[in-house]
Amino acid sequence: MSVLEVRDLVVEYSTVYGVLRAINHLSFEVGEAESVGVVGESGSGKSTLGLSVVRLLPPNARYAGGSIILDGQEVTRMSNSEARRIRGTTAFMIFQDPLNSLNPVKKVSTQLLEAVEMRCKKLGETYDVEKATREVVEKIRDVRIPDPELIMERYPHQLSGGQIQRVIIAMALLMRPKLLIADEPTSALDVTIQAQVLKLMNDLKKEYGMSIMLITHDISVAYNISDRIMVMYAGELVELGSADGVIRSPMHPYAKALIASIPRGVMRDAPLEPIRGSPPNMIHPPSGCRFHPRCPFVMDVCRREEPREVHQDARVVRCYLYG
Amino acid sequence: MQISILIYLVRRVINAVVTLLLLIFLIFVLVHTIAPTPVALARIYCGSPHCPPAELQVIIQQYGLSLPLPVQFAHYVVNIFHGNFGTDTLYKVPELQVIGELLPITLELVITGLIFAVIIGLFTGSIAAANRNNPVDYTVKAVYLVTWSAPVFLVGFILQLFLAYELKLLPPSGLANPTLGNPSPVTGYPYLSVVPQPLQGWLSGLVRAITSPPLIAAAVDGDWRFFVSGLHHLVLPALAIAITSFGVVTRLTRASMIDALDRDYVKLSFMKGLSKNRVVYGTAFRNAVIPIITLIALLFGFSTAGAVVIEDIFQYHGMGYFTVQAIYNLDYIAILAITIVVGISVIAANLVADLLYGWADPRVRLE
Amino acid sequence: MGFKEIVKRFLGYRGTIATATVVKEGEEERRLSGYRFYLDYLIKDRVAAVALAIITLFTAWSIVEGILQYVGFATRHRALGWALLPSNPIALNFAESLKPPSLSHFPAYIFGTNFSGESILSRLLYAAPKDALAAYLVVFSGIIIGMLVGTFAGYFGGWADEVLMRVTDAFLALPGLVLAIALSVLLGAGYNSVLISLILIWWPTYARFFRAQALSLKSRGFVEASKLSGQNSLMIILRHIFPNSVDPVIAYAALDFGNVILTYSTLAFLGIGIQPPYPEWGSMSSNGLPYFPQNWWWAIIPGLVIMTVVVCFTLIGDRMQDLIGGRLTY
Repeated sequence: MSVLEVRDLVVEYSTVYGVLRAINHLSFEVGEAESVGVVGESGSGKSTLGLSVVRLLPPNARYAGGSIILDGQEVTRMSNSEARRIRGTTAFMIFQDPLNSLNPVKKVSTQLLEAVEMRCKKLGETYDVEKATREVVEKIRDVRIPDPELIMERYPHQLSGGQIQRVIIAMALLMRPKLLIADEPTSALDVTIQAQVLKLMNDLKKEYGMSIMLITHDISVAYNISDRIMVMYAGELVELGSADGVIRSPMHPYAKALIASIPRGVMRDAPLEPIRGSPPNMIHPPSGCRFHPRCPFVMDVCRREEPREVHQDARVVRCYLYG
Repeated sequence: MQISILIYLVRRVINAVVTLLLLIFLIFVLVHTIAPTPVALARIYCGSPHCPPAELQVIIQQYGLSLPLPVQFAHYVVNIFHGNFGTDTLYKVPELQVIGELLPITLELVITGLIFAVIIGLFTGSIAAANRNNPVDYTVKAVYLVTWSAPVFLVGFILQLFLAYELKLLPPSGLANPTLGNPSPVTGYPYLSVVPQPLQGWLSGLVRAITSPPLIAAAVDGDWRFFVSGLHHLVLPALAIAITSFGVVTRLTRASMIDALDRDYVKLSFMKGLSKNRVVYGTAFRNAVIPIITLIALLFGFSTAGAVVIEDIFQYHGMGYFTVQAIYNLDYIAILAITIVVGISVIAANLVADLLYGWADPRVRLE
Repeated sequence: MGFKEIVKRFLGYRGTIATATVVKEGEEERRLSGYRFYLDYLIKDRVAAVALAIITLFTAWSIVEGILQYVGFATRHRALGWALLPSNPIALNFAESLKPPSLSHFPAYIFGTNFSGESILSRLLYAAPKDALAAYLVVFSGIIIGMLVGTFAGYFGGWADEVLMRVTDAFLALPGLVLAIALSVLLGAGYNSVLISLILIWWPTYARFFRAQALSLKSRGFVEASKLSGQNSLMIILRHIFPNSVDPVIAYAALDFGNVILTYSTLAFLGIGIQPPYPEWGSMSSNGLPYFPQNWWWAIIPGLVIMTVVVCFTLIGDRMQDLIGGRLTY
């Protein structure tokens, strides 16, 4: 049984300039203890996807169709109080900017204990400060911070970006969610710290067996910790398959281009190919396949009609080149 | 960590003292630019343009107005730090005595007004932020745009007209029912006998200062009839001050609440499963009030100035009313003394705000 | 039309607009230059359009009436000053003393008369040029002084900057009104002394503002580039710093006209400034104080007129700040 099942989801924003469809008929699922990397450029709707799973969409956004089934419950039609119940213990989301992710006026310990308190309330456990403190210390150690007691007495501005991101991962561990959604958890960090945090997430995934949905613009980050990768373009799924499969033999022209544009280590003569053109206007998207203005293999039919999803084994691709 | 708090405190205090010295210098320069000769200065001290020359010479001698400017400035600063603001040209008593009696009355009025303003401002501002871009938000905005554009005297007149004269809810003017005698300030001497002798005078001064606002004095005296009457008379003028100043609080509260609500830590608090109220009024609000603290110090100055007009309209005999009398009587000494005292109060308010800011925001305190 | 629509119409809001970019159908983007852009937007916005109309009317009237009064004084035909008014604003007529607002003698008595039987409407109209002049003169000289002092201090830094910051600290430590009271009383009664003291106290805010702008602009790419290409500092300030820092200050200035009018009329209320028999909005209101509340119109109507004008300036300033999408920092 899958932890998250998204079916035909449509999410729209109303803006000053018109209606913006950020997610257009998207379907996929995340299995138990599975990690899925969601890859796309900024504006592709990947962050909106994360927020819509935990029902934290901004006020000008709405679910315009489809369904999100999280741990057997329908999210799109939930009341606010029902949504509160699924947040944290069922799904937990961590955000991009570490410098803004913790409340600046409260100590780290207060914020982590709050998480334990909320979990206890939801799962009907009794909350005991001393026991909770011990648990917090243990979890901070689990995220490889050497001096838990010292960190707990600090305020967020006294921590580095990497430390904050670890503290937030510790918070996620304290909440024991079934699904962890990580929105660009490493983008704001230095490269070396990035690698450490990724390794940490990888270890914890194995240790705790939680499902992870990793949202990133960097396909190599997704490859590092995901079992499967979903590539999004302009709010639509373009390719979905096993991480190895998508990286080694991408099918969709956009996925191909994305992989060709990764700088490969220190090899200087490897060809580096940028994707031509610019991201689409999401209020007036291109007709037919949304990628067609930038596609090197564009055909007549691409301009006229939207392509359907083609299923090949465990691979999904939306392109007229296949099927 | 303790040391950094101490350094923060000391730096703030030094900053306040420097600003005060600069303010005194500024006023000194302005006065001497307007009246560049000793005789012109003496006219100002005399309080009348038709002063006989003999008297002018006496004043020049008395105040040392023909001395070199740096010496005069040194005297001026020393005098101010000794509380010597000169003698009132009208009442012939030291300014300090007059102001010492009237300032507490005005402070009581202004602080009450500010408390009203902050409560109204925080309330309307966070409601507007929580209902961003919908009719509630627009209504709040429309209201504060009008109130902060209204001249203070208009607000005073309208409150008087409707609440006092039409509905007869509150008394239209005065400090308290005139048939009641004023409560006497408390010196605390009987209780201070346990304290060592040299501290007694100083402490009693402190007690006197704290208990001198009429309402507090009445409460300490147990004069409840005066207290109730004073409270009744305080509401309208305080409300007038609140109405002209709450808009600034509303606007800033709304902006900083919106800013806080968009931060990731608010989303993360939602992620923990905290209720909307706890996130909005706990997490976001706690962060949003921090910038308001500085604003309150600014508003304190603004409201003290507004109190001049309000006290005139409501016949509320505090320092503001005295200022109006001084303007009519061309009592320059009083006006300069009031200017300096208001400056000191505003600088003190800023200092308090700085300290509160450090207390509320660990980022400032621990830097 | 529901309540929501009515409120929206009334306030003319269309959500927050973050940048000064107008997007038209079909991806065509264009950026209108400063004033055109403001004007374009403000006219489309109903409430702002009304406010703009009232301000234009107020300013136009002030110019016409101001010129008439000036010419009248210069040629010793003071009656020219009230040629356009419904009645002579300074002619005593005790027979018409304290008439409440009415339509008789239209339009002279629509705001009633004061104790001396002078029409309040005529007196308000007669005093308008003084308020307009104060608002425009004080704000514009504040901008000019602040721009010169602030930009140079911010651009060159060092001790000049330090001195500027300390001096403005001292000025801003006092509420403007209190300092204005002290200065204008010292300078002596009269309109000019009020103007001088307002100009003296008004520039520090602008100096701070321009300083902050210069500080942030001087490290920007296009300024660095001009420095590297060997342009001298004066040219850089004239070509790059000034033009780029003026834009955001316009919105604040629009709001500030209202602030000047408020301070000016409060001073007048306290008896500082124009002396009797000539009328002044603030002092008209305070003259009505002894006759309040029986003859409420005398004290209240001038206050309402001040409020109307100030609200219009505030509204325009507020809309412009929304448009440039930022709160000012200084």
